[in-house]
Amino acid sequence: MGTEKPVVQAGTNSNSEPIGNVADNVYADVYKVLLVGMVISTALFAIGVILALLHPEYVPLSAAWVRQQYHWHTFIHGLATANPGSFMLLATILLILTPVSRVVVSIYVFYVDHDRKYVVVTSIVFLVMVLTVILSRLGLK
Amino acid sequence: MTYSVSFVLWLLGSACLAGFFGALLGVGGGIFIVPVMVLMFHLPIKIAVAASIVSVIATSNAGGSSYVDQRITNLKLGMFLEVSTTIGALSGSVLALYLKEWAIMLLFTALLLYMGSTAFLQRKLDDKRIAAGDYSNAKPDRLSAFLGLNGNYHDQAAQRTVDYVVTGAPVGSGICYLAGVASGLLGVGGGVVKVSAMNAHMNVPMKAAVGTSKLMIGVTAAVSSILFFLAGLIHFYVVAPVAMGTTIGATIGTMIMNRLHSVWLKWLLALLMFYLSYGMFARALGMRFHIHLPNLG
Repeated sequence: MGTEKPVVQAGTNSNSEPIGNVADNVYADVYKVLLVGMVISTALFAIGVILALLHPEYVPLSAAWVRQQYHWHTFIHGLATANPGSFMLLATILLILTPVSRVVVSIYVFYVDHDRKYVVVTSIVFLVMVLTVILSRLGLK
Repeated sequence: MTYSVSFVLWLLGSACLAGFFGALLGVGGGIFIVPVMVLMFHLPIKIAVAASIVSVIATSNAGGSSYVDQRITNLKLGMFLEVSTTIGALSGSVLALYLKEWAIMLLFTALLLYMGSTAFLQRKLDDKRIAAGDYSNAKPDRLSAFLGLNGNYHDQAAQRTVDYVVTGAPVGSGICYLAGVASGLLGVGGGVVKVSAMNAHMNVPMKAAVGTSKLMIGVTAAVSSILFFLAGLIHFYVVAPVAMGTTIGATIGTMIMNRLHSVWLKWLLALLMFYLSYGMFARALGMRFHIHLPNLG
């Protein structure tokens, strides 16, 4: 004889309170954002790499050269003329924006779910991200 | 730089490996890729570091999406801890003005050693606790209860659903703040600290900690990447094979992680933390005292 451990039902703790806390639609929407960002950026990277290997050219490593590719007409012209750099640049932008989009979508989904606490929590994350970029740019200047 | 097939394949392969191990441990994997870029291809260190930060986003997108789909990630816990992590990264840039880099490295050496030792000494504990259902028997702290941080996931190795009650939210949040400072200041160590904080201090099973960290690291990496991008340091010709390789490796890693017993993940985590702590200690000694320890990679 001895004390027996309570049987815990899956999805509840020992006080029979439910565990597992987020509606399925939040998981589904976060998953879609990450998946779409991942697939599109990977496809664009692949196109860029293949184009670059088909027509190998010398590519400078300087920051000045990289920033030159950011000019709008250089970028659009590059996409139109199958410049590998423009495809890779677009892929890089999409890749970097995917986690940011995930946070923004999460704010919306928690809002739709009337989960105010997590609208606040996720909004704080987004604000801190924006503040970090702004303050760092001001610091750089 | 002239683009060649061997250049692309070497970067792709190294990034694949980094993405694979990163997916198993919930970390970015930059520690594997940067030496390849610098030592093998003599790329400038700034470009290598910038590319590795972007690869962290790639591994977070690939790994995070898979773990979210498998419902291993604890979304609410991840969102909550991202608050302290992002604030940590922001304050890291302010602290950099006042603290010496070598001093920060020594602090993190100590933190990593402590956490690596904990992971190693408790390596079998997760599997025992999962078998006994202990993760669901803890009492949540007020903050965890208020935010509803509890979660569950299906453990394929243990062949059961594991429910867990999150505890120690203030302590875990504090440690994740330090993780944010580390990744903002030093560029490494954010993921390992987050996984360890959740597993050792918040009653989160190792796999749920890995899945949650995988999602979180993308956010801090995105902020750093934006700054590097604006400075023109993200060379997309280098980033392209690294991001693709990391995505492939992370996708494969996420298929395997849940099939492994937690003891093996904790072995790997402890090893990685000891390796990182040695690297940081060696750099700190070199910077402050000009003592040069052997380089491990």
